[in-house]
Amino acid sequence: MNIFRSVIVLSFQLAFIVSAYAQTGPGIKISGEVTKPLTLSIEDLAKMKRSTAVLTDRDGKPHNYQGVALQELLEQAGVTMGKQLRGEQLTKYLMVKCADGYEVLFSLAELDSSFTDRVVILADKLENGPLPDGKGPFRLVVPGEKKPARSSFQVVEMVIRYAKD
Amino acid sequence: MQVSGYKILISILLVAGLSIAGFHRQGPEPLHIDYPAYFGNRTFIPDDNPTTVEGVALGRRLFYEKRLSVSRQMSCGTCHRQELAFTDGKVFSEGADGSLQPRNTMSLVNLLWVRNFFWDGRVAGLEMQAAVPLTNAHEMGQSLAVSAALLSGEPVYRSLFSKAFGTDSMTGEGIVKALSQFERTLVSANAPYDQYLRGDYQPTVAELNGISLFYGNPDAARNVRGAGCAHCHGGPKTYIELYHNNGLDSIPANPGRELVSGQSYDRGRFRVVSLRNIALTAPYMHDGRFKTLEEVLSHYNEHIKLSKTLSPFLQGVGNSNALDGLTLGLTDSEKKDLLAFMHMLTDPTFISDKRFSDPFQD
Repeated sequence: MNIFRSVIVLSFQLAFIVSAYAQTGPGIKISGEVTKPLTLSIEDLAKMKRSTAVLTDRDGKPHNYQGVALQELLEQAGVTMGKQLRGEQLTKYLMVKCADGYEVLFSLAELDSSFTDRVVILADKLENGPLPDGKGPFRLVVPGEKKPARSSFQVVEMVIRYAKD
Repeated sequence: MQVSGYKILISILLVAGLSIAGFHRQGPEPLHIDYPAYFGNRTFIPDDNPTTVEGVALGRRLFYEKRLSVSRQMSCGTCHRQELAFTDGKVFSEGADGSLQPRNTMSLVNLLWVRNFFWDGRVAGLEMQAAVPLTNAHEMGQSLAVSAALLSGEPVYRSLFSKAFGTDSMTGEGIVKALSQFERTLVSANAPYDQYLRGDYQPTVAELNGISLFYGNPDAARNVRGAGCAHCHGGPKTYIELYHNNGLDSIPANPGRELVSGQSYDRGRFRVVSLRNIALTAPYMHDGRFKTLEEVLSHYNEHIKLSKTLSPFLQGVGNSNALDGLTLGLTDSEKKDLLAFMHMLTDPTFISDKRFSDPFQD
């Protein structure tokens, strides 16, 4: 009986160890001031409303990136965009976190079509092909900025918070 | 008249009571950690472990306490020596059981601005970090409970602990909290580079060119020279919390951050270290493979190994001083200038500050 129990315990432990080390596919986590925390995979993004954005890369040439508008992603997670983006909601920010630890920030109004015509996207394709190594599977494309510093690579998480100071 | 006398008595008692309260602060005294405004205030101190004068005093003693190791021969200060900016000069430090560590000992400097610790950032917060080397069988190798019980036998520790945490019963949690408080005070901000930033030091021509190369990005088309270091080591702290594959190997022997995230795009990624006191912390890289800063510069300039996870900031286009160049392409003279800048980051005050030294040697 004791041996039986030990075997069961051991197999549970093994299963736990294996699952802890097994690689899960990359995803984007959206959390913080959201009504629906989300983790989206490449497949999830493929099913959403797609947008294109143009970015001039460091090679000096404009390139077409395909993906999903940040506004669309944030609305899916229940972030106060569009008509809800008013009053104290305008003190909210989005922190974008990348795999290498890099972080950049946007105010929500920068990403909302009722404030701006610029569409910032989370891209998963470059010229309809995969993103290059080191930049994908998801990167931000922020058109119209003189520096590409916010068009960050390998985005893994987006966190929405209130600025409180 | 009677009422008025009563009022006067109450007033006297109130004033006396408030004065006593004012003179006898309840609990430990908050410690303000001093640092320059240009370091910024994005600091990380957990709400449940504020820095206090008494906590830091206890933490300093614990940092140098050899009874925290199973061999009674090692303290934190054995591998983190102040005169070497809290490193030990070895490729891999030796644990209490005689085994070598898998990665190079990191320096302890300006940790107040660090969120995640170790070469792969696998642990959040200093408190969590401190517990690892204390208890790891191949490092100091003693459980926190044993350490707490051992030190509880000493009146000096019971007194220090009581002052720091309001109770004389020592706990493992208290030990790591006090150590963390002490480590947060290890601020290095008086190097010649700081004196320059404060306007108190005029750098040499080589140092100025080194600064310019460090912060500048190469732009061969416009004839702008740069080393692009600040992408990852940018700002006066020379530190951003980043993890990159810096091209040491085409097939990394150590998976680095991939072990933390489980994602293949993190293969061979390690922490980008602070360059503060870097001239004191040889050997370099997570595996201590480079003995000198000259070797490090030569690596970034000429020997980057390509791989799928190599940092985009270390690859050909946009990162070379030659048109269509595939390497950084600094001249020998430029490398010497960068070296001069790196030596500007050595802070003589930091390595001699009595507040950080071994109290058992006082």
